[in-house]
Order: sequence, then C-alpha cells, then structure tokens
Amino acid sequence: MPSQILHEDEFQARLDAGLWWKVFQHALRLKRFLIPLAFTAMGIAALDASFAQVTRWTIDAVVQRGAHADLRPYIGLYFLLTVLLSLGVWVFIELAGNISNHMSHDIRRLCFDRLQDLEFAFYDHRPVGWLITRLTSDCDRLARIIAWGSLDLVWGTCFVIMIAASLLLMNWRLALIVLAVLPPLAVVSKFFQRMMLLSHREIRKFNSQITAAYHESIQGVRTTKTLVREADNLGEFQQRSAQMFAASVKNARQSAVYFPVVMTLGSLAAGLALWGGGHLSIVGGMTLGTLVAFINFAGQFFNPINQMARILTEMQAAQAAGERVMGLLATEPKIRDSEAVRQRMFAAKTPTIPVSEIRFPVSDLAPDGHPANIDSIEFRRVTFAYEEGSPVLRDFNLTVRAGQTIALVGQSGGGKSTIVSLVCRFYEPTQGELLINGVDYRQRSLHWLQSQLGIVLQTPHLFKGTVRENIRYGRLDATDVEVEEAARLVNAHEFILQMEHGYDTPVGEGGNRLSTGQKQLVSFARALLARPQVFVMDEATSSIDTETEQAIQAGIERILAGRISFVIAHRLSTIRRADRILVINRGLIEESGTHEELLRRHGHYHELYTSQFRREREAAVLEGEPAHRL
Amino acid sequence: MASHGPLFFRTVWQLMRGQRRRYGAAIAALLLATVFNYLVPLVGAVTIDYAVAGKVVAADLGRPLRALLTVLGGAENLRGHLWLAPLAMVVFTALSGVFAYLKGRHAAIASDDIARRLKNDLYDHLNHLPAAYHDRAETGDLVQRCTSDVETLRQFLAVQVMELANAALLAVVALPLMLALSPRMTAVSFALIGPLVIYGYVYFGQVKHIFKGVDEAESALTAVIQENLTGIRVVRAFARQDYERRKFAGPNATYRDRSLRLLRLMAWYWSLSDLAALSQLGLTLLVGAHWITTGDLSVGVLFAFLAYLGTMLWPVRQMGRILTEVGKTAVALKRLREILEQPREADITAATAAMEKEKTKTEEGIEARAPAASGAALSRLAGAITVRDLHFAHVTAPATAGRGALNGLSFDVAAGETLAILGPSGSGKSTLIHLLLRLYDYSAGSIRLDGMELSRLPRQWVRRQIGTVMQEPFLFSKTLRDNIRLGRGDAPEHEVEEAARAACIHDTIVGFEEGYDTLIGERGITLSGGQRQRVAIARAILKNPAILILDDALSAVDSETEALIIDALKTRRGQATTLVIAHRLSTLAHADRVIVLDHGRLIQTGSPAELSHGEGLYRRLWQIQTSLAAEFSQGLTAG
Repeated sequence: MPSQILHEDEFQARLDAGLWWKVFQHALRLKRFLIPLAFTAMGIAALDASFAQVTRWTIDAVVQRGAHADLRPYIGLYFLLTVLLSLGVWVFIELAGNISNHMSHDIRRLCFDRLQDLEFAFYDHRPVGWLITRLTSDCDRLARIIAWGSLDLVWGTCFVIMIAASLLLMNWRLALIVLAVLPPLAVVSKFFQRMMLLSHREIRKFNSQITAAYHESIQGVRTTKTLVREADNLGEFQQRSAQMFAASVKNARQSAVYFPVVMTLGSLAAGLALWGGGHLSIVGGMTLGTLVAFINFAGQFFNPINQMARILTEMQAAQAAGERVMGLLATEPKIRDSEAVRQRMFAAKTPTIPVSEIRFPVSDLAPDGHPANIDSIEFRRVTFAYEEGSPVLRDFNLTVRAGQTIALVGQSGGGKSTIVSLVCRFYEPTQGELLINGVDYRQRSLHWLQSQLGIVLQTPHLFKGTVRENIRYGRLDATDVEVEEAARLVNAHEFILQMEHGYDTPVGEGGNRLSTGQKQLVSFARALLARPQVFVMDEATSSIDTETEQAIQAGIERILAGRISFVIAHRLSTIRRADRILVINRGLIEESGTHEELLRRHGHYHELYTSQFRREREAAVLEGEPAHRL
Repeated sequence: MASHGPLFFRTVWQLMRGQRRRYGAAIAALLLATVFNYLVPLVGAVTIDYAVAGKVVAADLGRPLRALLTVLGGAENLRGHLWLAPLAMVVFTALSGVFAYLKGRHAAIASDDIARRLKNDLYDHLNHLPAAYHDRAETGDLVQRCTSDVETLRQFLAVQVMELANAALLAVVALPLMLALSPRMTAVSFALIGPLVIYGYVYFGQVKHIFKGVDEAESALTAVIQENLTGIRVVRAFARQDYERRKFAGPNATYRDRSLRLLRLMAWYWSLSDLAALSQLGLTLLVGAHWITTGDLSVGVLFAFLAYLGTMLWPVRQMGRILTEVGKTAVALKRLREILEQPREADITAATAAMEKEKTKTEEGIEARAPAASGAALSRLAGAITVRDLHFAHVTAPATAGRGALNGLSFDVAAGETLAILGPSGSGKSTLIHLLLRLYDYSAGSIRLDGMELSRLPRQWVRRQIGTVMQEPFLFSKTLRDNIRLGRGDAPEHEVEEAARAACIHDTIVGFEEGYDTLIGERGITLSGGQRQRVAIARAILKNPAILILDDALSAVDSETEALIIDALKTRRGQATTLVIAHRLSTLAHADRVIVLDHGRLIQTGSPAELSHGEGLYRRLWQIQTSLAAEFSQGLTAG
C-alpha cells in the first residue's frame, strides 16, 4: 500500500485535461487577477511584435528619404512602446504573482482543513513527511503552473500568431516559406524538453540517494568505525556519486544539444527570409526595412515555442502532484457527524459561543441534544479490523460505568490501543456498536465526544510554544491560576518553576527541550485542565523514572477519580489500583478481574506481573533506590 | 566578498585541478562559438548592404566585412547567388552550435567531476573524523553542507564560471568586431550596458535579505504543518481542529505575503531592466537611423548592431545576479572547507604521543611490547586486557569539578574470560568500551591488549579484533544478509546463517517474505528493538573477534531468547574474551566474573556467587528475586 502511494512524480505521457480543469477552477475565484492577466499577455505579445515594425518603418524612412527623413515620430513611437512594454511586464508579474501566491495559499488552506477532519486510518498509510510535501511544494507548484503557465501559453500563442500574421501581411508567399520552420521547431522543442525533464528527474533521484547515504554514514559513523568499514563504504558511495555524475552530465549534454539545434532552426528561418526577401528587394519588390523586419521576426519564433513546450512538459510532470492534491481535497472524512446529528446540532446551536470553545456543557444537554453526562460506555459485540480480513478485535464486549478505571494489559499488538482508539472514536467499529449511555455513539456529535476526552499518550507530544501555552491547550479559556493549579496537581509545578522562565519557558519543537518525563507531566496537566469525562492513558508512565512516577502518582489518582478511565500500562502501581484489569490477547479478553483475583489465578497476568516487577526493581536498584522501597 | 576574494579564487583554482585543461577546452569552444555566432548577423549585414542595396564596396570598409565578403565570393557573386547568404547563416549558426555544445559538454563534465570528487572526499573524510567530532556535529547541518553547498559550488563551476568567461570573451571578441564595424555605434550601443549591470548587481544584493525572509516564512509554515500532523492525535484528543486552523492561517498568509512582496520587487526589477534594455535598443536604432540619413552608416551594419544587442542584452541583465551568486558560492565553499580542514583520526595523536613521553620518564619497569604502528605485522590477539589507573573526561561534558567519566579504573581480564560489568548509569561502563575501541583516546593511565599499549596500536587493527553490539545497534539500509555480512564480507552463506542461528534471529528472518534478502530501513521493513539487537549480535558473531563486547545488547530481548543466545555464546567461549554490560541478573549470572563500577572506579569484583553474598549492587539485584515471593504473599493476604 505505501509503496503505491509513495511512488513519486511519475511522468505521464498524456495531459489530463479534466484534472487541469479541476485545478484551474481554484484560480477562477481570482478572476480579478486572471482576466486582466489574459489581456496583459495579449497586449505584451502585440507590443513585442510591434518593435520589429517600428524598426522596419524607421529604416524605410531613412532609406527612402535620406537626409530629409523626420525621425521624430519614430522616436516617439519607439519610446511609447518601450514604456508600455515595461509597464506591461510590471503588470503581468504583479498579476501572475498574485494568482500564484493566493492560489497556493487557498489550496493549502483547503488541504489543511481537510486533514483536520480526516480519520486516523487515512494517516496510518501516509507518513507525515509525505503529507507535508503535498501541502508545501505540491501546492506551490500547481499554483505556479496555473499562474505563469497560463500567462506563457496565452502570450506564446498570441505572439506566434502575431508574428505569423505580420509576416503574412508583409508578404504571404515568403511568409509561408518561413513558417514551414515552425512545425519542426515545435516538435524538436517538445522532444528535448521531455528528455531533459526525464533526465533531470533521474538526477533528483540519485541526489536523494546520495543525501540518504550521507545521512546514514553520519548516523552510523561509530558502527562504521567499529566494523572498519570506511573503505567499503567509500566504494559503495563512489558508485552512487558516479551514477549522479553520469545523470548530471547526460542532462547537461541534452540541453547543450537542444539550444544549438533550435537556434539553427531559427537561423534557417532567418536565412530563408534573407534569401527570398533579398531577391525581392533586388528587383524592388520589398523594401530594406521589410527585409530586416522579416529576418527579425523569423528569428523570434524560438522563444515563445520554447516557453510553451516547457510549460506543457511541466504540466505533464506535475500531473501526479495535481492528482495527489486534488485527491486529498476529494477525500471525504469517513468518521463524521451524520446528517441527522448535524440537523439536531443546528437546531440546538447556541449562537454566541463557537462550538469549539464549549468544554463544559452550559446546560445538562450536549450540543447534539443528548444528555451531556457520560454514565456508561459499552462495547457490544464489537469487531474491528485495520485491514480487511484480519480483525484485531473480535466480538468484543465490555461495559464501563462512571467512576470506573479499567486497566488493559497484554502483549503489544493484542488490541489494547485499538480499544481506546475506538472509545475515542478515532476509529469506528467494523461490526457491532459502541454505546454511550445506551445510545450508539454514531448518533452523537463527534466534536462533543472528543471534547470530553483527556488523553495522555506514551510518547507525549507537545507543541512549540511555552509550557503555559501547552498546558492551556487542554482548555483554551483557562486562567493562569487554573493552569498552575493543574500543574500543581500533577506535581509539575516545581520543575516548571525551576526552568529559566518558569511557565513562559519555550519547550522547543515537539517539546524536545524537556525530558520525556517532564513532557509527560506537562501532558498530564494538559489533560487534567480539560476536565474530561473520559480519561485515557496509553502507556503514559512507561518512560518516567521511578522517582518521577511516584511524584505524579497522586496526580494520576486525582485525575482518575470520578471519571471513566482506560489505562494501558506497564507500571504496576497504575495497574494495581484499577477497578478491573483486562488481559487482552489477540483481540479477546483473556483474563478479567481485580489485581488480587488475577494473581491468585496464576495465569498470564501473574506471569506479566512477575517479569514487570523484576524489571522495575532492577531499574530501581540501579538508580540507587533502597531495595525495600515500593 | 571582497575580504575573502583572493582565498576564494585560489580555492576554486585548486578545486579545478585535474580539470583545468577541460576548462581550457570549454573556453576555447566558447570562443569559437562566440565568433561564429557573431558572424551570422554579419552575413545579413553584408548581404543587405552589398547584394541587395547595391552599396559600392568602399576603400575604408572594415576588415571583418571585407573578409566575409571575400569568403562569399565578392558582392557581385553574392548578388548572383543569393542562396549563399542563408547557407552561410545556417552553416555559421550550426558551427556556433557545435562549439556551444562542446563548451556545454566540457563545462558539465569538468564541474560534475569536481563535484563528484568533492562529494567522495567529504564522505570519506566524515567517515575518518574522530568520534569526538561527531558528538558535536549536527547530522542535518553536515548533510546540508555535503549536498546543497556542493550543488551551489557545482552550479558556480558549471554556469557562473562560463558566464564570466562569456563576459570576458564578449570584451575580447565582440567589442573589437563592433569597433571595427563602427566605433561610434559601439559607443552608442554600450551606453546603457554598464548601468544595467550595476543596477542588477545592486538590486540582487539588496533583495538577498528578502529572499531569506521568504525562506524563513516557508520553513515557519512547514513547521506549523509538521507540528500539526505529528501531533494530530493530540489535536483530536482535545478536539482542537478549529484552534489549529487559526494557528495555521497566520504563517500561511505570511508566506503568501512575503512571496508576493518579493515578486513585486521582481516586477520592478524586470520592468525597469526591460525599460533600460529596450531604451538601449531604441537608442541604437534611432541614432543609427540618423547616421544612415547622414550617410555615415549603412542599413546592414545597423542591422548587425541591432542583432548583436539582441544577443547581448539577456546575459547583461543576468550579470548582476551572477555576480551576487559568486558571494553565495564563497559562503558555501567556506562551509565545506570547515569540514575538510578538520583533522582525521590518526593512529598516534599529539595527545597520546605526549602521554607516551610522560610515561617513559616514569616507567614502571614493564616495558610495553611496543609494536610498530604499521599493523601489518600484527596477528590476531589472544584477548587479555589489562587496565591500569585509567582516566578519561569527555571534552563536551562541562567539567564537573574535575571529575571525569573514568577516574583511575584498574582491572584485568584473562584471554577467553567472560567478564560482566555492572554499574548505575553514568558509572563509566560505556566510556570504557569506547576507549577499548579507540573511539576516544584516554588522557592518563594505560590499557594493554596482550600486553601491548592500546594507544600505540593502529585503530583499525584494534577494531578488527573487537566485535561490538550496542544497546541500540545501528543497521544499514541493506538486506539482512548484507547487514550480517558487514562483520566479515567474505563469509560464505552457511556461516551467515550459522551466526543468525546463534543469535536466535534465523527463524525470524526466514519468516520474512524475502528471507535474508529483506531490505531493512526506510525503503524496507522496520525491525523491533530486540530484532535489531539480535541482527547485530549475529553480525558480531560472524566477525569472530578476539574480544566480544555486548553493551546492554540483550535489553530488548525476552529472557527465554536471552538464555538461548547466551548458551550459544558460551559454546563459543574460549574463542573470545567477552565483556558484557547488563542489568539483568539472568545475564550477569553467566559471567565468570563481575566487576562493579561507580563514578568511574572499580568498587567490587568477584564471581557471581561471591558477589551474591557480599553487600553491594549485585546482591541487591539478586535479592529482588527473593523479595518477589514475599511481595506476593504479602499482597495477597493484604488484598
């Protein structure tokens, strides 16, 4: 699956008009720029074509009238054209720049919006880096092609037509001879552009391999040294850099051939004009000015044809990017409020407060019209599979009432995380149903449910920003006092105060300026501040050292009290206090009961408990804890 | 740029070594291409003036025109055979094209070859820089330098160097030619060229910071997207989608607005430079036209001048940018030199040499059997290790009151013995291993292998004698077979499998669809921590070293498998001296002897049985076993 999605930038032989029309529609909102741009492009083409005419008239005037020629009108005309053209250039860059930047901004926003609503299953197969590329360079690329590409296509077409028209008007017979160069010029341009694009892609491929090789060699440098692999590594790298060399030279040679070939074709056109026009001029059938203009025009075909060939090739190359971005925008979220729920919510909507800000129900009813308190959560014959045919949970039944803490233990891959993901409605059951207060949660508001959750994950993720901002993420309107209170409750207050700027200390990207334990404490405070009705801990204490764990134990208890809690844990202290412990294996409940009941049974739980006990103690001993401490 | 100018050009000249002749060929080709290219409009000029307009060949006719006219058989002949003109045009263009191709080809081969050599040198150099350097360096930054900076340099060598040569040739070829045609017209044609170049140079120098601003806005935008996507679970967990949308809107708009601002400046640059360029053309046309009326200029020569200006204006407008690029290249080159000038790992460093000197003064009597650092004469070690009063402090660690990672450690290991090393984190266990591998050099004391002082042994030879498995082993993105074979490249297939069996990873490997050919890493499958450890163990076993070191290498392996692996290692015992760093009693119990470290010193030593009786770390670990039983009975009665 990923290999299909991750296949980068395949070159497509055919232009998909439907796709580009779809992309183009995003530019239609920018009509105020788009329409003037089209006219500017035509205007510039006309101006470009006019210069050769002015030259022609000037030469004719001086040749025919000699010393009596009045050059002033030509001076005026020439500089008028110059000013107009410069102005036109300014206007088209301004317009195309606006279209390109606004369009990429808008598409990017739509993609981002969509990503906020798509279910986790969508993310499971798409690495973050891959998605980022879609939102950054792909969006920019599409917008650039639409803005500058349509400019070049309109300008190029008009310019070619105008040159052709000028030639035909001056002398249609000679014009036809000169225009015969046009088709081979177009074919050759397209051929070379395509070839150069393909070889350029090859360069990029080898280049990313070289980047990866550097990366690997630097990260593995100690292993290389201990295995004395320096010479072998270099040998392998030299192969890659040689491939890169070959591809790069190939590309350079192609363009080194391309331009001379095209120039020679252009020169052929100019030569034909000189030949035919020269004959005419000798017999007086053509003025010298016209002859010069003919030669000039004939040499100018190269530029527009080259530009148009480039744009069409680029469109072929960007087609894959277009499909991915348009595909993302066309993906409908699979987990979302049903029509019925949305109608009910619309009816009950409180107009002044945006729904997202409601943490605590204003009344006893949730925005979807159902009771706001969660009294029970029930799995009823739930089957779930990430991939069709291999269910992770089978016919799973479980009822949890308000105030209960459920601990889930068992081997990884057994389905523990799946159970909590289903509770959070990050995924929905493949079969069976999940009931909140006896009502299928698909009949409740997704946003409401997720607003009632407090989740602490194994690898705590913090956002760039200060400690305070991170805790406040749990409840945006919380006061500073409430933020600190939450931190105090999980025993995070002390370490936060010890930091350079206290609560205003930036945590760095992903929170990497804090230790994992500290991050964990902040994420506990964040979850506590949210005042959730349902609390989920996924291996949340596994990376905390014994001392810190003891510090937050009291905080955890405070969080768990009075809530429905699901705890996936290694730590015995957390597990032991649960109201019920479920040993999950292969998607089924293998054992269930309290800590004491399960120990007495001497089953799987007993085994897990013993090995975990030993591990924790060994760690404690090595950290210098007295052996007798619990 | 001016400040490091001479150094920059000297470095570039040195880089060109081996390719200078090719550059010469490229420039020669460029010269010919330019000459032929400038002949084309001249053909037009001659034809228009002497064949079409019927101008009389005057005595003061410039040499280039006269020569060309002679080649074409004289004015009369040309008039009679007008087809000669287009033929000459096409032939000259084609010849110019052939030389342009040769120029492009030579320049590409030369610059790409320099880039390739540089990349290879950088790669090799990075592999040979000491571990201490890599401790400080940032991977991302190094990779960036080795790729983007090399590319900037390559661009410079391929494009800018040739553009500068082109400008120089313009002065050498075009200028004399134009002067020969008409000195006055030449003056008129160059009137605005100088200001145009200066304008471009100043402009691109000025907008540099705006380019930077756009880059910054783009990375800020990317960072917000990345934050959101990596934290998407947190976003959903708190239903913060709308908040995230608002957070994204700012950087998204900033990026748009900054790019737009840059484009606006570009609009000014290009329109103004268009204005200047077209004015130049207009000036030439109209002044030329005026001189035609006064009889000082012919239509053909005007035509040639207009054509020359047409080909010159584009490079001239680019010239400003090219000159600013030179500054960028100078920065890139400096960043690359910073890497290449770092000293490589030497077998005998200045520090160890100084230490040796010190030691000979206070020689304790035992003359170290000093081998020559050549290493060729050295055979396989027996594996006896003697450590005496070993001191080491990491350079990067802030010196905590003079306390290093190792503070006078001494112990002995007999050849073939299995020694377990136990100690809390920070006690110096891993540092000891790094010193044994000569990844770092100790500052005082002595390590001897079979009686030979380690600091005088060749590093690579030492490392060949030692097989190491780390807690988080690094595997390369190759197939599983190739990864195991890294231990010994020439090992036959059955030995690879044997090693994998001993490390209890064979069955797992065979379970993969592609078996030993399974790729691992980014383009292949991801192994679990325990699987990685076992692959690394297989790799070390295959190496069949005199000394085997397991640095917490079984931590992610379950205890059953661990026992199997230890058994397998034991059957090989006698072949290798084994050092095991471990925390689990189950691992430690298999050792012949255990040493306990604390704060870089030895605090306890003895067989596992001895240590379980004496007070200490080992005993406390051992007691967990007993307390577990107690805990259960207690817990159950309490419940």
